[in-house]
Order: sequence, then C-alpha cells, then structure tokens
Amino acid sequence: MLEDTIIAISTPPGFGGLGIVRISGKKALAVAGHIFQPKKRSKKSFPARRPVFGTIRDPERETALDEAFLTYFKAPRSYTREDVVELSSHGSPAVLEGILRLGTGAGARLAQPGEFTLRAYLNGRLDMLQAEAVNDLIRSVSLTQARISSRQLGGSLSRRIFRLRGKLIALLSRVEAGLEFPEEKLRTGAPADRRTIDSLAAEVERLVAGYEAGRALRDGLTLAITGRTNVGKSTLFNALLEEDRAIVTPYPGTTRDFLREKLVIDDLVFHLVDMAGLGKPAHPVEKTGIARGQKIARDADGLLVVLDASRKESGEDERLVRKYRAKKMLLVFNKSDLPGKIDRRMVRELAGGSPSIDVSALKGRNIDKLREAIRGHFAPGPAKEEDVILHARQKDLLQAILEALGRAAGLLAKGHSVELYAEEIRSCLPLVGELTGQVRIGEVIDDIFGRFCVGK
Amino acid sequence: MKAADGFDVIVVGAGHAGCEAAAAASAMGLRTCLVTIHLETIAQMSCNPAVGGLAKGHLVREIDALGGLMGLLADETGIQFRLLNRSRGGAVQAPRAQCDKAAYRLAMKYKLERMPNLTVFQGIVAKVLVTRGAARGVETLDGTRIEGKAVILTPGTFLNGTIHIGLRNYPAGRANEPPSVDLAEQLKKLGMRVFRLKTGTPMRLDRDTIDWSSFTPQPGDAEPVPFSYRTSGHLQNKVICYLGYTNAATHAVVRRNLDKSPLYGGKIKGIGPRYCPSIEDKVVKFPQRTRHQFFLEPEGLETTEIYINGMSSSLPYDVQREILGTIPGLDKAKIMRPAYGIEYDAVSPTELLATLETKKIRRLYLAGQINGTSGYEEAAAQGLMAGINAALSIRKKAPFVLRRDEAYIGVLIDDLVTTGVEEPYRLFTSRAEYRLLLRIDNADRRLMEYGWELGLVPKNTWKEYQEKRDRVESAFSFLRKNRLKSAAGDSVTLFEHLKKPEIGLRSVLEYGKFPGALSDEECRHIESETKYEGYIKKQEREIAKSVRSDSMKIPVNVDFSKVSGLTREAIEKFEEKRPATLGEARKIPGMTPAAVQNLSLYLEIQAKREVSRARVSRGT
Repeated sequence: MLEDTIIAISTPPGFGGLGIVRISGKKALAVAGHIFQPKKRSKKSFPARRPVFGTIRDPERETALDEAFLTYFKAPRSYTREDVVELSSHGSPAVLEGILRLGTGAGARLAQPGEFTLRAYLNGRLDMLQAEAVNDLIRSVSLTQARISSRQLGGSLSRRIFRLRGKLIALLSRVEAGLEFPEEKLRTGAPADRRTIDSLAAEVERLVAGYEAGRALRDGLTLAITGRTNVGKSTLFNALLEEDRAIVTPYPGTTRDFLREKLVIDDLVFHLVDMAGLGKPAHPVEKTGIARGQKIARDADGLLVVLDASRKESGEDERLVRKYRAKKMLLVFNKSDLPGKIDRRMVRELAGGSPSIDVSALKGRNIDKLREAIRGHFAPGPAKEEDVILHARQKDLLQAILEALGRAAGLLAKGHSVELYAEEIRSCLPLVGELTGQVRIGEVIDDIFGRFCVGK
Repeated sequence: MKAADGFDVIVVGAGHAGCEAAAAASAMGLRTCLVTIHLETIAQMSCNPAVGGLAKGHLVREIDALGGLMGLLADETGIQFRLLNRSRGGAVQAPRAQCDKAAYRLAMKYKLERMPNLTVFQGIVAKVLVTRGAARGVETLDGTRIEGKAVILTPGTFLNGTIHIGLRNYPAGRANEPPSVDLAEQLKKLGMRVFRLKTGTPMRLDRDTIDWSSFTPQPGDAEPVPFSYRTSGHLQNKVICYLGYTNAATHAVVRRNLDKSPLYGGKIKGIGPRYCPSIEDKVVKFPQRTRHQFFLEPEGLETTEIYINGMSSSLPYDVQREILGTIPGLDKAKIMRPAYGIEYDAVSPTELLATLETKKIRRLYLAGQINGTSGYEEAAAQGLMAGINAALSIRKKAPFVLRRDEAYIGVLIDDLVTTGVEEPYRLFTSRAEYRLLLRIDNADRRLMEYGWELGLVPKNTWKEYQEKRDRVESAFSFLRKNRLKSAAGDSVTLFEHLKKPEIGLRSVLEYGKFPGALSDEECRHIESETKYEGYIKKQEREIAKSVRSDSMKIPVNVDFSKVSGLTREAIEKFEEKRPATLGEARKIPGMTPAAVQNLSLYLEIQAKREVSRARVSRGT
C-alpha cells in the first residue's frame, strides 16, 4: 500500500483563490513531471523546496490546463517522509479535478481520506498523538480546538506523555534495581516509592480531568430544549440559530420528532436539540416523540428548560424542573414581552438554584444575552489548554494507568512485598507505549545501569 | 577418530554450556563426543566462584527440573549458601552459592567420564565439517576428524579471544590458554554475522596476606536452600565472605592511570557488560560516588586464592597493586593472578532458530558466550537446550522450545533469537513478562514433566516430585476447607487468611492442626501460590489468550501488501518468512507488536468476510 504514489486535493472543497494538489510517493516527481511544464524549458530537474513556475499540461492533448507553481519536497524532508510534490494552481474545482485526472492518468492513485497523515505516521514522521492532532486540526470546528490541535501537533502532549513515561521508567528502575541487586544495598525503599507513585498518579489524574474539557471542545456539547408544549421551544430554537429551522405554529404539539442543529457561540460548539414538549400527547406520534425527547434530555450535557413566563407555573412545569434538577440546566423564562405571572424565585429554587434568564423568542429580545448565558453556564471548566486530552482512546489509556498506580499504592500501603506493586507499575509501561506508539522493553534495564552502579 | 560406527552429537568446548549439552545428549541415548582443549579445565569457572543469584538461580532451578547438572553439582561443591531476597516474595527469591572451583571442575569431570554413551576427548577444534549445508563433524588442529550427525559449538571466550592487561595484549581464551582462531574465521566464512564483545575478571589475592579484620563478614544462611531437587541431606556453610569498600584514594589512582586502560585508551573495541563494570568504569561513570563496594570470596577450600568481586579491571599489573595499596586491609595483599580484560568473538544470535540451531547450517548448534550471553547459568541453560534439540533432531522428533511464560530459559532464548544482543546478555527477572509465575518454588511443576518425558529426569526424582505434588494439593485443600474467626468476628478460610502479607504458612498450619508435614521448600511454594493468587489467575488468562492468538493460522495465499498500516519493512519481512501462524509472525526478528496487531486485525476481518460471503452464496 505504501508502494503506491498517491494524489489528492489538499485545499478545502469549493472555489478558492488558490488550490493545492499534493502528490506523495516514490513516483511523485515522475507523475508531476509528466503533467507539469516549467516555464524555463531548459529546466530539467526541480530543486527541493523551491517553487518552480510553469503550466499544467495534458500530455496527450498537448493543451495547457492552468498556470501553476510546483514545489518539490525531497524525501525524507517532507510531510510524509516520502517524495512529495505540491502543485499550486488557481482554486477552481474544475482545474483541481483536472489536475487529479491528469495525475491519476500519469500513474498516481487517489488518496484515501487521511492517507497522507497515515503515511507520515507509518514512516515515523509523526507519533500517534501528533497524527491524531493533525486529523483534529483538519477537522477542527472551533478556534480553541484548532489551537490545541496545533499545539499537540508540535508535540506538547507528546512531550508531557514522554515526561510521564520517563518518570514511570525511573520509578520502575529504582524498584527493579532493588529487586535484582539485593546485595548492592541500593538506596531504594517503600517510602520513596510511595511518594513517587502518588505524585505520578496526581499528574495522570490532571491529564484525565482535562479529558472532559477536551471532549466538549472536540465534539461539542448537547443541549436539549425542553419544556411543556406550547411554551415556544421551537421559536427559541429558531431564534438562537437565527433561521426558521423548526416549523412553528400556534398549535400545541407541532413538534413531534426532534431537530438537531449546530450552534457556535464564540469558539464553542453546541448541538441544540429541539423536541416535542412534555404534556398529554394528543396523538400516538407525539407520544413517541415525547418518549424520545425524554431520552435525549437524560443523555444531554445540559438542558435549556423553557417556561412560559406569562402563565402561572403548572404542576407539569414543577415536575419537569424537579425531574432534571440533578442535571446542569438553564431556566429560560420565555414570552417575557407579555405580562409576567410565573413565580421565578420558586421555580429557581425548585431547580436547585439554576440560573435563569428572561427572553422573548418571538420578539428576539435578550437572545444575545441568552447566548452569553449558555456559553457561561455550560462551557467546560477552566482546564488549561495543554491539559486537554482530545481522544477517548488516550483518556482510556491514562485511566488504566491511573488505576494501576492506585493499586500499586494500595499494595504498598498494606505492606505487600515489592514485587507485587512492581507488577502494577510494570503494567503501565505498555499503556504509555500505546499512547506514544512506541514500546521498548529494555529501557528500564538501561535506566538501571544509568542510575545505579551495580554488578560485580 | 570414530566411535564404532560414528558419533551422533559432537560438542565442542567443555565449559558450562558444553558440559550440559554433552550430558543431555548422552542421557537421551545418543552417542556423544565432548571435545575440549584441556581435560583439566572441564567446567572451569573462569570468573567468580559462585553460581546463582537473581534470575540466574532461577535458571539453575529450571536446568535442574529438566534433568541438567549445574544445580546438583553446585550443591555438592558449594561452600556457602544464601537465599537472596528472603524478606521479599517468592517470585524474587533465588539461591546463590559460593562453590569450590576445583571441586566443581572435578565433580563435573567425574560425572561426565562415567556417563554411558559419552566420550570425552582432548583437542583443539579448528573446523566444522560441513557437507550440503549440514554439519557432519569437526576437525582438530592436529588433523583428527571426528564425524557425527550434529555439532554443538560452545567455545566461550576462546573464540578468537584476546587478553588485555594495560596496553599489552595477547591471543588467549583464558589467562595463558590458547584461543580458537580458525573456528572464528570459519564461522565468518559461513556467512554468520560475527561481532566483538568484551568482559573482564578481577585479581585473585593470597588469603594469608589480607588483614581480614578490616572487612565485614557476610555469613551464609542458617538454613541453606539447595538448588537441586535431587540434593538430599543438609548443606553446610564452610567459608565466610567479606564486604569492603574502595575510597577516594583508590579512585584517584584509577583516574590518574586511565591512559593505561585499554578500554579508555581505545585498544578494546568490543562492547562490555554494563552489569559487570570494571573499577575503571565505575569511577568514570559514577564520579559522584565516594566509594564502591566489593566482596572477598574464597575460590575453594584447598586454595588460598581469594576472588575480589567488584574489582574487575584491565589496568596494568603495577596499577592493580597501587589500587590495592589504597585499601586498608588489602594494602599488603599479594596478587596471585592479575585482573585482565578479554575480547572475544560472538555470533549474532539472530542467526539462530529457537532450538539454537543455526539458520544457515543445519545440525549446527551454538550455545553460551558465542551467542552473546554472559554467565555460567545462561550458558548452561543454552547448552542443555542445544543438547536436547540436537538429540531430538537426530531422532526426527519435534523440537523442544520453551515459551516465555513457561520458563526463564524461554525468556532467555527468545530474547536472543528474536531481539539479538548488543552487549553481553545477562538475564534479569524484569525481562520476564510473567515474573510472578516463573519462580524457584515451582520450577519442578513447570518443567519436570518435560524433563521426564525427554528421559533426563531420573525415575526416583520423578516419583518424589509426584509425592510432593500430592502433599501440596492436600495442604491446599486443607487451607481452603478450614476457617478461622478474624478479630472482627467474621470467618475466613485459612487460604484467605494466608493472603495477608504478614502471615506465614507455618503458623496457619499450626493453628489449624494440619496433620501432614511439609518441607520449607513446599511451604514457600504454597505461600507464593496463595499470596499471588489473583495475579497468577490474571496472568494465566493473558497467557491463554496469547497462546490462542499465536495459534491463529495465516492463509498461505495472503497478500501482505494488502494489510493496511504495515511498513514496507514489515511487509518485506512477512513476504520473506511467510509465517504460518501469528505466533511465528511475532517471532520474526525486528517485527513490531503493532505490525503483528495490524496483521491480526486484517486476518480477522478477512475471516469475517469469508463467512458473510459464504452466507450470501448460500442465499441466506
């Protein structure tokens, strides 16, 4: 598979000022040379990393397709560590696809999604964390996420994991040296081991805690709009999205199924779900809708509980608020343009002190404030950006390390013999190795000899 | 030279590897010839007068469980015994014995001379006779041809050895003994990758010139633990070792004379073992240390020679004397044999199959230092396995290969043949993935049945083992059946109670009035099995899983280039070796776990597709 030379458009789809087609593999230069004619005809070879101006030509028809710059990145000094050629031309889809067609005609194969990055990883250019970060960077929806991804691409997470790995190896090498060289009277022992294990665990825990914040950035948070029928949920939904996405009628029970739309506030992504109001269903379809809505509300990261401020709170409202009081919620008193009848304080208390805001979805009043409130209330805690771990896989591995360290500390505290807690620490190494895509077993032994003067 | 109608196995070299190889092959009924340079130096301990230690003591137990000789002889000729890590758990305890070197040599010679099927022969082997890609015998320097069906080479440091002392050097396999130069040349010509290693040995001092009051005595154990399951009767400590330290003056002498060190002067090119550093290395690499410990160990009962463990050096003789002069108690000590460094050739063990047979020449086996290892125990273990496999091959039987989860021998050989070595290889317990399973207290349970089936374990030893197994079983059922009330008032089985770190088996059995009698050895076994129970179960599950995965078949027509995520290198290696199972794929030298994982995933997906295709074609 790595034998093929691959080609793809690497700028986003659609019209743009510039478009880049990237070719990677052994035959990259040959393919490009076949379809690219340098302006200075005398030029027979392409210098590395220096753009050469010329035209893209169809070798069969002898016609010029577009003007372009060719930049050659010689292996291994390229993104994929293979020979890479970038053809940058005008960004019209017709031109770019034309170049692709010519390229595949000249022996390249269309790249699969992510294949350039995969090659960079397989050729050792990126470690796994960096490869994942590239993928995130390409797909990043928000600025914060893009910033974190680019930092991980630079290896800040990798560096932290490598530091963690180094500390684990140091701990294990001390423990193992004490076991392997009992006659050497090395300064090893349980109290120091205990301190190291605890501080390592604290560090891993910080990384794991960053995961929740990371997930919010990566996947966005799901916010369910819930409330009785006819309190204006769909109107609010449309108002927040600034488009008429949901059908709004004066009749209760209009929304039977749910709608899901992306709402970006500043640099955070929220998935806003509008759904059937709670209440006595008038129709079997509505009944199913309500059941589904309840499940969505249960699974959501947060709730916008919409109440009709112009009416006295009903038993239905109270049940609803009470039911979800354990969840993170924001109370939205809608229809605040009408004279108010609802007992706001009472409802807030019922909701366990959740914040509230008055809006009029119909008149568009306070919608900006609502957006701010959503951002403020539901945004993840103040995790430092470099703490953020973006993938469930990474979190699961760190969680497993944390658990093993916890067991080690437990065994140590109960006075179990060294080789038992050593076993738990040993079990962390392949986990860290999985995080960085590298495993070397002899490293602990190497470390022992670097650290201790042992042997006859 | 010929036996009546030729030999089966020819073993070259009678060190710790060669002796075990020859003993195993002849015990398995093969006509065996053991060729060595000097009959006087059979089983010579070239360096320290001790057997065992962590991982090494484990190896000796395993050798013993398979019917090998080292443990039995170490017990017989031991003069001081210690069980290391006594205060820790069973998995990291290991026996170590100081041996009387001369007695060990003689005991081995005595044993080998009396083995049926075994001829011991003095000669320097210059050449392996190879016909049609298979070893068919050897030829000595004086032209004697010895023919056989398999050859096992165990030349140790004699393979193209060079001794260094100061900036002088001379060809030798051990002080003043001629090396095997021709053999090294031939191995290179056969296309084997040969590289250079280095090791060293400290000076031997005259006991009567040491002021012993300057050092701390290190007595043996009150209750010595034997290596061998076959050793009966009580072992006795007959000598005491002593502990001492170097000082700043010692280090100053070393530093001042580094220009006379062949290692630091660039004369020695071979790579030395980091776990056996010379005093020069210790001083240079750990400049912050103000002292280094050493042990004074008697070389035997009949000699006044004292081995100074920790003082290996290749500095010139006069510097060695100056070094001793800085240490109170050794300042008047006379050097009987100077310390020296030695460089020798080794063959990259990736040239070997797991049976220790070379890949290039059939029926040619390599064992011991030639494979890049160091240590008597590592050598003996390989010798035993090479002897067994040569015999099995001649008998046309399936090879005998131990897995990493079965024995340290398996870890050792697997490390050698799959990873290769860069420095002299020493076994450590940390090299084993399943350390809690590979214990001295269960080596018999892990391996003795193999030894019995191979015909290496004597009948009475096998019978005793079975009786022991029954006693242990009855003790376990007693522990599981009987209960005691804890301080909190709840009732737990004795087995559960014994799991607590501070509880010992003797007190539990006494409390429960166990009717039988158990040896210390059996107690240690039961304690380990109990205290490690959770971990043992978990690791056994992991092993079962990996054994299952290893046995996964790779279809002969699989196109490795279709497997996604494989590096070019991995594809090439798979194409070249065409492994039949995932286990074989895993064992390809240099293969990464990730590549095997990708292959495994690919095979699983293909198998699933196969199933769904079959369904479609049946119209379901």
